[in-house]
Amino acid sequence: MIILENVTKEYTSGTPALNGIDLRIEKGEFVFVVGNSGSGKSTLIKLLLKELDATSGKIYVNKKYLNKITRKRLPSLRRDIGVVFQDFRLLPDRNVYDNIAFAMKVVEAPSRIIRGRVLAMLSMVGLLDKYKSFPNELSGGEQQRVAIARALVNEPSILLCDEPTGNLDPENSWEIMKILDEINKRGTTVLVVTHNMEIVQAMKKRTITMNNGKIISDVEKGGYFYED
Amino acid sequence: MKIRSLGYNIKQGFKNIYRNKMFSLASIATMTACLFLFGVFYSIVTNFQYMVKKAENSVCVTVFFDEGLSDQQKSDIGKNIESRVEVASIHYTSAEEAWSTFSKDYFGQYQDLAEGFKDDNPLASSDSYSVYLNDASMQPTLVTYLENMDGISQVNRSDVMASSLSNVAILVGYASVAIIVILLAVSIFLIMNTVVIGVTVRKDEISIMKLIGATDMFVNAPFVVEGVVIGMIGSIIPLIIIRYMYANIINYVLTKFSILNNILAFLPASSIFRVLTPVTLGVGIGIGFLGSILALRKHTNV
Repeated sequence: MIILENVTKEYTSGTPALNGIDLRIEKGEFVFVVGNSGSGKSTLIKLLLKELDATSGKIYVNKKYLNKITRKRLPSLRRDIGVVFQDFRLLPDRNVYDNIAFAMKVVEAPSRIIRGRVLAMLSMVGLLDKYKSFPNELSGGEQQRVAIARALVNEPSILLCDEPTGNLDPENSWEIMKILDEINKRGTTVLVVTHNMEIVQAMKKRTITMNNGKIISDVEKGGYFYED
Repeated sequence: MKIRSLGYNIKQGFKNIYRNKMFSLASIATMTACLFLFGVFYSIVTNFQYMVKKAENSVCVTVFFDEGLSDQQKSDIGKNIESRVEVASIHYTSAEEAWSTFSKDYFGQYQDLAEGFKDDNPLASSDSYSVYLNDASMQPTLVTYLENMDGISQVNRSDVMASSLSNVAILVGYASVAIIVILLAVSIFLIMNTVVIGVTVRKDEISIMKLIGATDMFVNAPFVVEGVVIGMIGSIIPLIIIRYMYANIINYVLTKFSILNNILAFLPASSIFRVLTPVTLGVGIGIGFLGSILALRKHTNV
């Protein structure tokens, strides 16, 4: 569960990236966050990951109060949140299997469960036959599927996706969205920041529209109200 | 960090060194140079101190008695001198021993000339104490004390420039410490740079690790391994070089300058390396550790 109460984030320039945001996302929800560039979407994700601190207001993620969380307890917060980025951020010197296993190794999972879990993830994203390939041998869609597998291999309860289809063609974008929908059906809370109007309109999910650091609409069954 | 992650992090540390070959080699080379100089200075200073100590041990004050003193009185004087802090040991030389030594030195092969003095020892009242000092610099204090002591007619001090020798040893020691400290600071700086470059090269990886939920210790461990391994290699190489050079140089000096054999007394390699090996390894590993920790404190905050 994610709760933001009157959250403001100002950068040193003084312009607020987020301005008095109130937001509540329940466990198991699928939420789109849309808006133009500079509307505060990416700042929202960074605040939820505690990459940034809010200037004011309160943030709770999975009952953890982020304003007071110590650096030492940060890993336990982040292990329950998977992240997918527009640019995939795969490690170019490791193959598909190792990229996914890497996420389990860094949280010091026992090696006996790593192999089974990685293969299950590869099967879910349909890349079982490409486990030995390196990122530069994969298409953009395939790389994003690896990134999703990596984000989910530690079984987080929340998946944050920052423009996951931003670098993909329509066909691959739909493939990714289908996978995210499937993940959500299995119980994971999914928050997708996107510009892709077609997908948002078609999927009929809860859609939050942001503009100039404020939420200007929050609709239950989809609808992209803002145009660049 | 869990035990099972130890192997993974050690492997990553070695990978860092390999990926960062040129900088790792530069750090190892600098560390080797620093610790080599450290080892050389240490060997020189230790040997110099050993020679000074030997010279100091030969510094000796000779004490002659007033005429007519009984053996008991001489023995009391001896005990009194022996109880002084400046004194390492004393040796009593009887008049007979004194004459015997003198006649050997003076008459040499013409011992028959000395026969004339057989029953009339010219050094009859020249029995004495040879007083050996703990520290040559204490000679003036002891001589003043002895000169004011009852029953003593004459005090002969040693002419060896004992205090100057001590001063030279101290000076060489200070100069070495200063040079070594500067070199070690350079080593720390270079190791820091190497680790910072490693961190920069792996910036994306570190940021992903942190976002996935890796602990600081897990993220930092490979870089600490990198620093420690560089420090360790950089300390083993100079130890091997110095070990090889030490015996050869001593042999060379003793062969080429055999005339100085009485003055030049070298410590055996085992004495030098008993201290030098653990100290060099400790310093190398310590600097590697410190350098990497200092670099990480600045550069891995995500």
